[in-house]
Amino acid sequence: MRFLRTLGFAALVLLLVLAVAAALVIAVRADPGKAASGFLRGAFGSFYSISEVLVRATPLILAGLGVSIGFRTGFFNIGAEGQIYLGATAATAVGLLFPGLPALVLLPLALLCGFAGGGLWSAVPGFLKSRFGLSEVITTIMFNYIAINVVGILVRSVMKDPSYPLPMSPDLPEAMHLPVILEPTRLHLGLVIALVAALAVWFLMSRTAAGFRMRAVGLNPRGSLVAGISVPANLLLASALSGGLAGLAGASEITGIHHRLLEGISPGFGYVAIIAALLGRNHPGGIVIASLGIAALQVGSSSMQRASGVPSSISWIIMGVLVLLILARRPDRDRVAR
Amino acid sequence: MVVPAMLAMRDIRKSFAGVPANDGISFDVGEGEIHALLGENGAGKTTLMNILYGIYAADSGSIVWRGEVLGGHGPKEAIAQGIGMVHQHFMLVPTLSVSENITLGLKSRGHPFPDRRRLDTDILELSARYGLDVDPAAKVASLSVGERQRVEIMKLLYRDARLLILDEPTAVLTPGETDGLFRVLATCKGQGHSVILITHRISEVLAFADRITVLRDGARVATLEAAGATAAGLSTLMIGRELKSPARRTAPAASLPRSAAGDRAGLEARAISLRPVAGKGLQSVSFSVAPGEIFGIAGVDGNGQKELAECLLGLRIPDSGKLLFGGLPVEGLGPRQRKRRGLAYVSDDRHHDGLVLGFDLAENYLLGKLDDPRFVRFGLVDRKACLRGAGGAIADYHVKTRGPTEEVRLLSGGNQQKLILARELSSGPAIIVAFQPARGLDIGATEFVHERLLERRAAGSSVLLISSDMDELLGLADRLAVLHRGRLSPAYDNDGSLDMMRIGLLMGGQGMAEEACAS
Ligand SMILES: Nc1ncnc2c1ncn2[C@@H]1O[C@H](COP(=O)(O)OP(=O)(O)OP(=O)(O)O)[C@@H](O)[C@H]1O
Ligand SMILES: [Mg+2]
Repeated sequence: MRFLRTLGFAALVLLLVLAVAAALVIAVRADPGKAASGFLRGAFGSFYSISEVLVRATPLILAGLGVSIGFRTGFFNIGAEGQIYLGATAATAVGLLFPGLPALVLLPLALLCGFAGGGLWSAVPGFLKSRFGLSEVITTIMFNYIAINVVGILVRSVMKDPSYPLPMSPDLPEAMHLPVILEPTRLHLGLVIALVAALAVWFLMSRTAAGFRMRAVGLNPRGSLVAGISVPANLLLASALSGGLAGLAGASEITGIHHRLLEGISPGFGYVAIIAALLGRNHPGGIVIASLGIAALQVGSSSMQRASGVPSSISWIIMGVLVLLILARRPDRDRVAR
Repeated sequence: MVVPAMLAMRDIRKSFAGVPANDGISFDVGEGEIHALLGENGAGKTTLMNILYGIYAADSGSIVWRGEVLGGHGPKEAIAQGIGMVHQHFMLVPTLSVSENITLGLKSRGHPFPDRRRLDTDILELSARYGLDVDPAAKVASLSVGERQRVEIMKLLYRDARLLILDEPTAVLTPGETDGLFRVLATCKGQGHSVILITHRISEVLAFADRITVLRDGARVATLEAAGATAAGLSTLMIGRELKSPARRTAPAASLPRSAAGDRAGLEARAISLRPVAGKGLQSVSFSVAPGEIFGIAGVDGNGQKELAECLLGLRIPDSGKLLFGGLPVEGLGPRQRKRRGLAYVSDDRHHDGLVLGFDLAENYLLGKLDDPRFVRFGLVDRKACLRGAGGAIADYHVKTRGPTEEVRLLSGGNQQKLILARELSSGPAIIVAFQPARGLDIGATEFVHERLLERRAAGSSVLLISSDMDELLGLADRLAVLHRGRLSPAYDNDGSLDMMRIGLLMGGQGMAEEACAS
């Protein structure tokens, strides 16, 4: 019954989204047939396009998992974008500082530092919330601006590649590249890491006492206090884990794709991750599926732009519509507190 | 009734996920009638009233209100039609003031910038007329449950409801306040208002109701005139058996191993003081509870009970004074460590303090067992053990539920309370702080809880029972004291010599200063 209703709702959403997309395509006077085929070819048309979707989904999954841990604990982390940048910076710093290390040491170290970088960056708003009650929604957004601009400064100064005129870091050592798992595409080990992370987050949140505490704090902080669960400690933990996973997303982008630090390393992954967490209902499995869907939407719409001239920003409009639809769905009318 | 009923509900049916909560109930209320609705926890009383008030839509059945068919209505329409409801669990906005809550959603004169001072005067007038003591400017968050109750009732009176639905309104009131409330209701009745009263207290029903409807397992078993009813008859209708005589002490205090445990008090408070916030603090509160003793704290809710309970739990830190568990100081220990020292805590506010409503029964059971290696090993939750534990609690405490994986939010109020008690008492605690533990429980369950507390007393627990229900205290406590405006009176032995007049006066604050000086 519940399942059928959910299915019906999903069908309705799909229909509405298609209608909006069609309206947009017609509004820019493009050929709908061409646009549709361009979209489908881009997202699913070939081996390569599918691999591109997976590449795109990787950071979304990681950051989305991070966001979901925060949400479930009552830490509304809007700062995944900045945490991705910080994680990327930390990973790059490892490569620049220890270029001589063997891959087996360097790569895990870089990922770990990426996690730590994002985690520490996010733990600051976490601390400010748990200690002084500052709203994390505000502080994490502000931290995004700081992080992005810090990276801008770094790639123009201490981390700049002196042999190159553009603001970017030198190439990172070969030993730091995440192995490609599907030649000749760009699909790298990051996807596997993301899927393992999804499993780990599921295990943490639903099987361990630590996850139970975080969920309790998210659902009822006052009741948690009475039960002897520390609200500040769990907020801090959740903020660190949340930012850590976003930082890992940044590190994975550096070691898997770019192999150097540059501005614009994330085209808003941190914000899209919030949508992925929302659509995936904060459940790891749901987040993986939502991330894949969003990635397909984005990759497909880029190809649609090339094929039919429909601007790829249509994907953002569609995502906006999606979020509104999901939020508009009232839970159960019968679910009144009694 | 000769006059056409003001309200007629016919053959109301409502199921939740296939399980009927209302199974064809017919029910009517006349003009100027106080109609009591009785029934065990989970019998379907709240559900029926929620249907009337438009919160739920009935699966089938009809409602006729003052000659017109009501259907597809929501609470907003219900209020506009003159039907008002005070819920079992209050629905106030804690961050707003009392007066803002009372006028919430109303387009008062000057809307949207009403003249707050005028509204406050109106409210004060109304509160004086009905004897409901509220401070319009106070923030609801700073109020105790009892005070919130008063605000809820004020809210209805302010809206001029023709039919007042009160879901367990007296659960948190003292006898004095209860009498006050019923005076209010009698006045309303005189002016043609009708009242539907849900309560678990048979004595109230017999004294104040005109007619009584008894529900059991979602069906109506009887509607009778209060005049001809008896307590024994009603309890038989409700629970299918006669109630044992109201919880009396099973053994006199003297015969208990109280002195055998030595003079080490199980729980001792020495001159606990708490600076008043919003008028509520504690002034040098001292008492001690021996192992095997039930110490009662009486008084009108909102006189520092919550503050005292929270000092004992470790949520608040007293400004001065000493707290000892089993003779050892517990300064600097938080709730978790204190629970490890053998404290069990039953709060008066189950939705905020006692439960996580979005969790299922097993998870809520785990909430009190996080340090118990039977449920958590190496940081991993043993889900099977939790299900088993919750299953045991359900069986032992007769919690009415579909099973340990049901969300606690969906349980009836009394059944939620039973789960908390089962969880807190199952660990064999040395110290029990029970704050209104039987609030909202039906007569059978209340009796059951009282038996459990007496059992813990016999097992040597030190039980602190904070209650505004004098009958409960007289039935259970070995000694009792009165808390008024943050001061605790000297303790009196609860035996034949107890001077009820004096207790009553103390609860009203009279004689408190002299008593405190004398001690
Ligand atoms: N929204 C809901 N979803 C599922 N089950 C529900 C819901 N509301 C009520 N129930 C179930 O219906 C039954 C009747 O509940 P109701 O709240 O009406 O009882 P009650 O008579 O008010 O009991 P109490 O005295 O404990 O408040 C209970 O078994 C309860 O679990
Ligand atoms: Mg009820």
